[in-house]
Amino acid sequence: MEINRLINGNLQRYTTAPSDTLLAVLRREGFFGAKFGGCKEGECGACAVLLDGRPVNSCSMLAAQAEGHRIETIEGIGQHPEQGWKKTSGLHPIQQAFVETGAVQCGYCTPAMVLAAKSLLEREPNPTETQVREVLSGVLCRCTGYLKPVQAVMRAAAYLRGEAVPPIDGSIEAPEGLFGEPGGGDAGLPNIGTPSGADTLTRVMPRISITPQAGAWTQVGKPEQKVDAVKLVQGKPAFTADLDMRGMLVAKVLHSPVAHARIKRIDTTKAKALDGVAAVLTYQDIPRVVYSTAGQSDPIPGPLDSFSLDSKVRFVGDRVAFVAAETEEIAYQALQLIEVEYEELPAIIDPADAMKPGAVRIHDEPEYVNFGDSNPEKNLAAELRIDIGDVEKGFAEADFIFEGDYEVPKVQQAHIEPHVAVTYWDEDDRLVIRTSTQVPFHTRRVLAPVLGLPMKRIRVIKPRIGGGFGGKQEILMEDVAAHLTIATRRPVIYEYTREEEFIAARSRHPMRVHMKTGVKRDGTITANEMYALSDTGAYGCHALTVTGNTGHKSMALYIGDGPYRESPNIRFYADVVYTNTPPSGAFRGYGVPQGYWPLDRHMEKIARELGLDPLDFRLKNAIRPGEYHPFSKSWSEGREPRPEIIHTVGLEQCVQQGKAVAGWDQKFHNPEWRSVPGKPHLRRGIGVAMVMQGTAIPYLDMGGASIKMNDDGSFNLLIGATDLGTGSDTVLGQMAAEVLGIPLEDLIVYSSDTDFTPFDKGAYASSTTYISGTAAVLAARKVAERIRVRAARMLNERGGPQVEADEIELADRKAIAPDGRFVTLVEVGHDSLHHTDQEQIMGVASYVSPSSPPPFAAQFAEVTVDIETGQVTVDKLVMAVDGGVIVNPVLASGQIEGGMTQALGYAVCEEMRYDDKGNALERDLVDYHIFRADEMPKLETLFIETFEPTHPFGVKAVAEIPMDGVAPAVGNAILDACGAQVDVNPTTPDRVWRALQSGNTGGFTRKEVR
Amino acid sequence: MIIAYHRPASVDEALALINRTEPETLPLGGGTVLSRPGPGRYAVVDLQSLGLNKIERQGATLVIGAAATLQDLYARADIQEALREAIRRETTYNLRQSASVAGALVSADGKSPFAAAMLALGAVLVWAPDGRETPLAQYYDGVSARTQGLILRVAIPVDAELRYEAIAKTPADVPILCGAVGRLANGLQNVVLGGIGDAPMLVRSQTGGLEGIELANAVENVFSNAYSQYGNQNSSNSDYLKPTSAILLRRLTGDLPGRAG
Repeated sequence: MEINRLINGNLQRYTTAPSDTLLAVLRREGFFGAKFGGCKEGECGACAVLLDGRPVNSCSMLAAQAEGHRIETIEGIGQHPEQGWKKTSGLHPIQQAFVETGAVQCGYCTPAMVLAAKSLLEREPNPTETQVREVLSGVLCRCTGYLKPVQAVMRAAAYLRGEAVPPIDGSIEAPEGLFGEPGGGDAGLPNIGTPSGADTLTRVMPRISITPQAGAWTQVGKPEQKVDAVKLVQGKPAFTADLDMRGMLVAKVLHSPVAHARIKRIDTTKAKALDGVAAVLTYQDIPRVVYSTAGQSDPIPGPLDSFSLDSKVRFVGDRVAFVAAETEEIAYQALQLIEVEYEELPAIIDPADAMKPGAVRIHDEPEYVNFGDSNPEKNLAAELRIDIGDVEKGFAEADFIFEGDYEVPKVQQAHIEPHVAVTYWDEDDRLVIRTSTQVPFHTRRVLAPVLGLPMKRIRVIKPRIGGGFGGKQEILMEDVAAHLTIATRRPVIYEYTREEEFIAARSRHPMRVHMKTGVKRDGTITANEMYALSDTGAYGCHALTVTGNTGHKSMALYIGDGPYRESPNIRFYADVVYTNTPPSGAFRGYGVPQGYWPLDRHMEKIARELGLDPLDFRLKNAIRPGEYHPFSKSWSEGREPRPEIIHTVGLEQCVQQGKAVAGWDQKFHNPEWRSVPGKPHLRRGIGVAMVMQGTAIPYLDMGGASIKMNDDGSFNLLIGATDLGTGSDTVLGQMAAEVLGIPLEDLIVYSSDTDFTPFDKGAYASSTTYISGTAAVLAARKVAERIRVRAARMLNERGGPQVEADEIELADRKAIAPDGRFVTLVEVGHDSLHHTDQEQIMGVASYVSPSSPPPFAAQFAEVTVDIETGQVTVDKLVMAVDGGVIVNPVLASGQIEGGMTQALGYAVCEEMRYDDKGNALERDLVDYHIFRADEMPKLETLFIETFEPTHPFGVKAVAEIPMDGVAPAVGNAILDACGAQVDVNPTTPDRVWRALQSGNTGGFTRKEVR
Repeated sequence: MIIAYHRPASVDEALALINRTEPETLPLGGGTVLSRPGPGRYAVVDLQSLGLNKIERQGATLVIGAAATLQDLYARADIQEALREAIRRETTYNLRQSASVAGALVSADGKSPFAAAMLALGAVLVWAPDGRETPLAQYYDGVSARTQGLILRVAIPVDAELRYEAIAKTPADVPILCGAVGRLANGLQNVVLGGIGDAPMLVRSQTGGLEGIELANAVENVFSNAYSQYGNQNSSNSDYLKPTSAILLRRLTGDLPGRAG
């Protein structure tokens, strides 16, 4: 049918099918700013456009419905301000505000948010925060925690009203003592919470105590705008699916409807005969190559137990067949025409059944390759047995033994951009894989044998990523498109639906954990033991390393006091078992959140049992600067361990400053504060958790960078590191710019392409700023050295006192001699390429770290509990973080806010459940709720800088640590509020209610032994 | 799959399309449900040109055109705050802009805050062509065979008092349980519970209030009926749902002004 549409003021005629959604037509016509979130019910809102000025989800209306209406897309809102000789009005003030405030992280939902904000500000120029949050609530964001988008809209509103706004770099530095006043909790804090709220919502810098070393820097430590923000805020076609290739086929996968079965018969005849079907592939059509989908360095520290297609299915959602067709509809029709006969096998859904005698064996394929202590005969993907010190002796020396059982759920990364890949043969018959991945180099390496191609004939391009959170540290589905491209010789796009994200992607390992802790009467921990039963699902990707981290990062925090500091007694045992459920994998935090729920809940209970202050008890036993990481002598992700000293621990300062801002002293154990006037069924509570993470994997993961200088004094920074929305391109650029003495705008950052950028292990393990950042710094130093040499020569040729290269300082786009003479970098660049002893000034460097300096944090949570229904409302989260030097406070605080928000979902609502047949109960973002803008608690981030000596700029990491402490802090706050011992996470109303009804202590026991 | 799209200019024309047997033809309000890919082949009749998107006050009654959006209703100053809250919790801001009132009621499941609130208000559906009226409670009573046809309007009283409360994992999550109590001008009190069946359930509709024992019995009956009708889909959680349902309804009915007794 032919339809007229008025899009961005232009009346155009389009051909559409009756079933076409507005989103499909817009994207077909090149309006890529409307994004596909994979959802069926329009729950994510990334596809929003304005229809007659209202934000509507273009995936949830037919294209035909839009006829006669005015449509605005992000493409009609604003433009880059500089386009050569053509003058433009630049970005819209809303877009500008989003860029300035760091509201753009991955940028996938940003166009929708900008449009929603525009709809509000056009009818309400002076909105309240509530109004802003309401209008943004139609767009789900998994990155930001919504605080910065709200700030952006308030800032834009001020711009549009013609008002002045505070500068972005108006930092709130810590006074000499504490951030907050001892007596007031929130009271007495500078520039926060003014009655109008305006200053709160336009000031975006977090509170930060800055190390002395950072004082002189011009780039590092500054809230530079994200280098990709301008394109993302315009909705430019920056993502994998924003590509339209001639003849591109659509791929779909037939997923198993049963949890465990052999394929007795599969017939694709009818599907292949369907008009418009280009290929149908089953296990009979492609090579049988065993591999692991985990995106990790070689050798993969886990079993090889996966095939692109197999004659056996191991979970509901496992792959049965691939289809490539001219359209999505035809592809779906073809799936329905594939006839499959299954021989069903017994299924293991409960991990406790996996190792029982007589349990069905999930992996019986002869190609299975063990790693470490994996044993498929016992359905064991990995086994960990780590003993540090003499644990039994430690228990014998204790006055009390405390034991408890805890449980953490399987949860979904829920990045708003689904997994997506486009594959095609290029003109050199090399296979190009354009994919939304955190691990482009691992993808190339792992897929080469799977596809039967030498690695050099594969090129992996990583465009912008619409969120990953570990879910894209997986070679999850690129092979589907690649096999189909090989079969058809045509470009193929494969885009996951939201349902596929739930049934056929990866997730956080659920675990059941037993804790046993020996403690002396004075609170000294004498021995600490954790056993985890970890469920890896049907495949063992990340099985060993995720679960290893559960112990490695959590159990290392509390080593004990006194003599136990030198010789702590710690035991971590784990069995990682196969079940017939969707595989687990990497998820931000990588096993560590699973460790901190049991560990910190257990610590809280012990402190209360012994009548100790929970903060003092934790700090008494926590690791301190100069002490060995206890696990560093015993375990290293399946490789040789090497002892490592922890140089910087800002935990005590985090506690002191965090508790001041949280108002801990006024609230904890305060019955007056705990009760809510007029609402006897409500109780308030406050809780804390202390956490540590890691920064990179020592002696293993490597990052590379190259920098070349251009004629105009600008530079290209090429990195293999993958910015998945975190801002790592910007942060790496800032560090390189600091070395080169240039503003960030003179550095053009490009990542990642296996043909053009240096190798990098990818974005995981909180490593990019530390590892890849060091590589960028080292490359910049090489370039700086060449610049100094040339500059010295140029200055000496001009006469005057002779200057040596090592006397030259690079600053302010100049190479400056001690006496003040200088040459500009434009002159150096031009001279080097065109005039004298021509050379390409260029530096290439890489870095592997011998250290993994942990960041630390104190996480505070404030809740209100309805003691009649068990409903929990989280009112406030305060996180004080020692992440070393903070390179970009605005971007880093965005990481903390977004991480806390993800962790908040983990704490109270997110959970993937299965029926007894292995069918997923949650298959979309309606049933699996992630937090919206209009229901957020107050978020507060504090940075307590330490200078980590193992990094050129003293950095550690911030990306993963916000995942660790929220859940236990919320659990502890619930305990504080009403005494409910909820040991199973998340703390849903029914669990809290049952804990209140039972009035018992769960599985927690105290035994006095001396 | 939608095989044909029609945008008629009159109700008669729309009815003619909807009433035909081949192809199956469905009324399309905002399109938020029917635009989803799914099985079956059917045509749709877009209601946007029929003038059914108006909301008018007629005395103490608010007459809501079937194609009026949830946001249109939400923005009315003369609706109950509890109804506004229920709309806010029904779906996201963006979907409220296009989802129609009638469509939301027709497609509502048992956890729908909006349906619960409208049920408590005693909402009435008005059908084409003859203006036949069906109380929403009656419509939901026959869930398995909800009446087909074209809804023209939905009517609710504006002078009724309405309360709404929910238990959810987060403030904006789909409720585990939701309750709504409407007290109409004639003294009729509608007590509604959502969360245990395929549609919110009218626990009681009677003049005067419900006292403790009576309320508990009513809740017990509702659960029994729900489990027999819907196959115990929530029975594993009934130890939690039953008592908290009673608490929810007790709170909603507890100090309702003017209640009997």
